[in-house]
Amino acid sequence: MPAPLEGLKVVDIGWLMVGPMSARYLTELGADTVKVESGKRLDPLRGLGPFKDGQSGPERSLSYHWINAGKRGLAVDLKSPRGPDLVRRLVAGADVFIESFTPGAIDEMGLSYARLAAANPGLIMVSTGILGRKGTMGLGMSGTGMTGSAYAGATNLVGWPDRAPTGPHGPWTDSVAPRFVVAATLAALHRRGATGKGTYIDLAQAEAGIQFLTPAYFDFAVNGMVAGRSGTAGSPLRAPCGAYPCAGADRWIVIDADTPQAWDALRGLLSPSLDDSRFSTLVGRLRSRQTIDARIADWTRTRQPAEAEALLQDAGVPAHAVSNDQELAFDPDLEAAGYHRRIDDPLIGEGWIPGPQYRLAGTPHVATRAGPRIGDASAEVLTGELGLSAADVAGLKQEGVIE
Amino acid sequence: MLSDVRVLELSAPATMLAGQVLGDLGADVVSVEPPGGATGRRLPPFIAGPLNAESSLSWHALNRNKRAITLDVASPDGRAILGDLLPHFDIVIEWIKRGSCLEGLPRPDGLIACEISAFSRGGPKAGYLATDLVLSAAGGAAAMAGDPDRPPAFFPVPQPMMEAGAEAAVAALAALAARDRLGKGQTVEVQARVAAAFASMGRLVAGRSGDHPFRRAPPGALGRMPIVPGMYACADGWVTITVAFGPAFVAMTQRIAGWLVEEGALRPEVARENLLEVALNAARHDGDPEPVEQLVSALVETCRRKSKAELVEISKRHRFMAAPAMDMADIASFDHYRQRGLFAPQAVGEHLVDTPARFAQFADYQIEVRRPAPRLSQHTAEVLSEFAGLNQLELQALFAQGVI
Repeated sequence: MPAPLEGLKVVDIGWLMVGPMSARYLTELGADTVKVESGKRLDPLRGLGPFKDGQSGPERSLSYHWINAGKRGLAVDLKSPRGPDLVRRLVAGADVFIESFTPGAIDEMGLSYARLAAANPGLIMVSTGILGRKGTMGLGMSGTGMTGSAYAGATNLVGWPDRAPTGPHGPWTDSVAPRFVVAATLAALHRRGATGKGTYIDLAQAEAGIQFLTPAYFDFAVNGMVAGRSGTAGSPLRAPCGAYPCAGADRWIVIDADTPQAWDALRGLLSPSLDDSRFSTLVGRLRSRQTIDARIADWTRTRQPAEAEALLQDAGVPAHAVSNDQELAFDPDLEAAGYHRRIDDPLIGEGWIPGPQYRLAGTPHVATRAGPRIGDASAEVLTGELGLSAADVAGLKQEGVIE
Repeated sequence: MLSDVRVLELSAPATMLAGQVLGDLGADVVSVEPPGGATGRRLPPFIAGPLNAESSLSWHALNRNKRAITLDVASPDGRAILGDLLPHFDIVIEWIKRGSCLEGLPRPDGLIACEISAFSRGGPKAGYLATDLVLSAAGGAAAMAGDPDRPPAFFPVPQPMMEAGAEAAVAALAALAARDRLGKGQTVEVQARVAAAFASMGRLVAGRSGDHPFRRAPPGALGRMPIVPGMYACADGWVTITVAFGPAFVAMTQRIAGWLVEEGALRPEVARENLLEVALNAARHDGDPEPVEQLVSALVETCRRKSKAELVEISKRHRFMAAPAMDMADIASFDHYRQRGLFAPQAVGEHLVDTPARFAQFADYQIEVRRPAPRLSQHTAEVLSEFAGLNQLELQALFAQGVI
């Protein structure tokens, strides 16, 4: 059974997460993806960990392997006069081109959509600027997912009302935007199947982030309510519902025992500390939230998160440890789902990265492979895709155009 | 884009964004709710005033471009009608608690069944009771967010239902790509926990890498270098400003100093210092960190007097990195989003709202709000007569029995 996108050609000239992760979604569906970078302008992700065995090095970043799994590496110096020309020729034969330069920079390289589409009208090109390309602030606006999170409204929503916002973990929009890029791209591919027409997609990472926060936006637009940081976990409409301390440094569990069944189960498990008849109704629990939370915390504080989670779930209480990165790596449920996949790389040896984000029952994803080493397929791509001779390739190498 | 695709969404919180993304891309989406209304209609926030099936703003935010029918799929008639509907649809999106509602019904060959579950099906947590908060915790990102002296930080807007929904849209479209090529439908499975774990980003690979585990910790002081904040209070909120002293960033920091001199907040001598050297000496040796301290306190004081918008403008002029921690009012009035055409008008009860619907700008396609979020059972008669061939009398009989 061929993979869904077998034969599709993708050129990924992105960096960090949004563009490259979007290209990975397509790669694991069978697309042949060429990742364009250069030894002179490395993808900064190569400098970010986590690194295999904690030793840094451009080929040792497991984040890089995760986000670029299965791609072929073409190392081109885009500052050399002939570099962009090679990319242009490559894109002329490609189906999808994803770029995440500062908006406008791609035009200066002679790789604007207008120019590329003239040679390849079926091309689907995606630009993933922080604030997009269109609009007065688009061109020239650079930043990371931290910037995107701030403009999406996420930064301001996470943290405590009495303190500066902390924002969510890391460059949050990096984890949101790829889904919208991929959905838009797959929809465009579907239409192209019928019409032969490609398109240009200008996706602002911050605007993708806003899609995950629209209930708060509607609260403002309709009620005039500007949502702020609540600090506490869970909903003010549910009780008990929150994060409780566990044994160990900075260890926590969430418990969400709002429904009558869950509440009865929790009460039974912690008996007699929650037996008070005032706690029997939701309204009673909302009014006694602090007392109830304190009694639950007395119980959780002496237990490891995994132990408390098992006891609570066995009793019928929705609960889960606030998983840290070590637990994510060895969680039995993720293990059962085969989420972490082994890769073998000639340089770092064995490594583990997440497989696909979802499962296809009929036409499975391709096997999860390592990310490319810098330029590991330069010669192969130039001869195979552009028809260059070995002598041409050697010449380009000598001139420093490719590596 | 998807004008030839029809989607049947058995509504649950995690299906809502999935159906909406497909609808935004042009698909004809029908949302199926139990006769009492979907869970999504009881999700906060609510329109101020009377509370009813049309009050949920989460519902309004996540159900544009859909028609809605009510159908008790557990009843014999509901099941039979569901079976009649299936041949008319390309994609079914469903939240799986125990089994699929489609089990036992004849499945058309081309049908794509997109199934979302909380945890791994058949895995050790398959029987877990899961709420959005439970899935957030299991996703891991919260453990790494927030001030280290307080509990982990969660979003006040539930995220796993969004994460799972967006992932399900992708999964359904991947199966559509497969069908376009091979002519056959299939089942695709999304786990909300896996979708939520994506927000842990690089930390997903940490545990098996041999690299250091993540610890929430206050920023550590290096030698005599003061702690330099990343977030600055301003007149109307907060702004993140990158103030760094490494070789790649120090030029930007010198420009911040230059601006502070212009503002009269910093003595010109301080801005003339080589801040890279000052910082290195303070961190490594016993150098005097005073210039850095003065820069930071001048920045803190000056930011307090400026608005978010002013600081962004200043950062552009002086070429340093600043981003406003926008709130929803800022987003609504941000000119740049307006110029891009992010917003499209949508009726929400009595209100007309500019909704940030256009998550992408296409060269030759525009996301539109073709329909506002549907009222409870608004399209039951229309859809069931069109696709299940029911007449008026039959519809009334089903209503009388509580099936629709």
